[in-house]
Amino acid sequence: MSEIIVGISDLKVSSNPEDALVTYALGSCIGIAVFDPKANVGGLLHFMLPDSSLDPNKAKATPGMFADTGIIALFKTCYAYGAEKKRMVVKIAGGANILDDTNYFRIGEKNIMAMRKIFWRNNVFIDGEDTGKNYNRTMRLDLSSGRCTLKSSNGTVNDI
Amino acid sequence: MIINCILKSVEMVPAFPAAIQKVAELLSDEDYAVTNVTNVINRDQAIAANILKISNSAYFGSRRQIKTVHEAVVYLGRQHLIRAVQAAGISKIYRKGSKGYVLQAKDLWEHAVAVALMSQILCRKIQGREDQTLYTAALLHDVGKVIMGEYVQEYFQKIICRIDEIKCSFLDAEEEFIGINHANLGGRIAEHWNFPIELRDAIAYHHRPDLLNEEGNTLASLVYLSDQACLMMGLTGGIDALAYKGLEDVMRYFDLRIVDLEKSFIELMDELEKAKDLMLIG
Repeated sequence: MSEIIVGISDLKVSSNPEDALVTYALGSCIGIAVFDPKANVGGLLHFMLPDSSLDPNKAKATPGMFADTGIIALFKTCYAYGAEKKRMVVKIAGGANILDDTNYFRIGEKNIMAMRKIFWRNNVFIDGEDTGKNYNRTMRLDLSSGRCTLKSSNGTVNDI
Repeated sequence: MIINCILKSVEMVPAFPAAIQKVAELLSDEDYAVTNVTNVINRDQAIAANILKISNSAYFGSRRQIKTVHEAVVYLGRQHLIRAVQAAGISKIYRKGSKGYVLQAKDLWEHAVAVALMSQILCRKIQGREDQTLYTAALLHDVGKVIMGEYVQEYFQKIICRIDEIKCSFLDAEEEFIGINHANLGGRIAEHWNFPIELRDAIAYHHRPDLLNEEGNTLASLVYLSDQACLMMGLTGGIDALAYKGLEDVMRYFDLRIVDLEKSFIELMDELEKAKDLMLIG
């Protein structure tokens, strides 16, 4: 089995059942894992910021950096591999925040909100999630089974 | 008492590489002699080897191969040289440290580099210039973890439970179970190294700059912000992750908005791409 690593602001798609897509250390960033069991296509996005209007040039070069451009790129790439939206299972993780209720550091929360809005507008349902709190997460999508596993910095390991 | 063992370990920490301070002293005079600097670097074999690696890395953008320390000193120039010497020496300190917080000791070093780069991004934004002391403080901010790692590993479950129960910070939990937090411990190491007070404070209070009086806390506040930003980005964060206090006043003090932080994330991604080689040295 080969492990394909998805860096920050990156996305990877594969249809090889031997592959596993992995992204490390999601803090305030969010990981979105999608899987179409029939076409056996899986994708993983690790986006960092909520909105590409912050830097449109950057968004063109690195669409995976932002929620809006990243999610579109993730789904389109999966379609190109033969995936269909209605069959796609969507799992999300990350969006952690620093402690306290100060609004100044809530990029994790902004990321979650931006993502939900995009999904809602496009009729995409979230099938599993582990978001918020204050720990880091490593997300892994196994393409042989579509299994999505999270390993958190607080020591827990679980499937979503 | 654990705390006594820890404080004893501080006394055992090897001296801060003399070459770093010596080079900084020599370079504080703009009219420095290249031969003097070269001689100092050549006396520390590990640093000399790293200087060659660094000056040939993409980060410092050398187009031709640099073969001797003398060439490196000439090529790098004043500001790059002091940073390269620091990187060469300090990476060793982190790499020798215990894991505990992170899976591999090199993760501590990668985090330190990210925070140092972020500190300059924020400093350029806030003060319109770079700041060498800030860079040094940022690079060394987590030096306490080099000793603390071992103890944190032992108390990990208790610390995590406590954070979950009462929503305290990782720092408070460290104090409760171990008797000192990693930032203050870093301050003790800085004292052991005879660092100037502002550098010591910036390390010791990098999670709580609000505890320092206002004149003394600019450096600590900038290290704090740079660290928080990197932790949020998930940049080689450890088991402590984001379990630290968000200090709204620090953002207000520098007149920073959340979009400023977001923009600094983007800038850091570019700089990290260039600094890849810097993280590999050691």
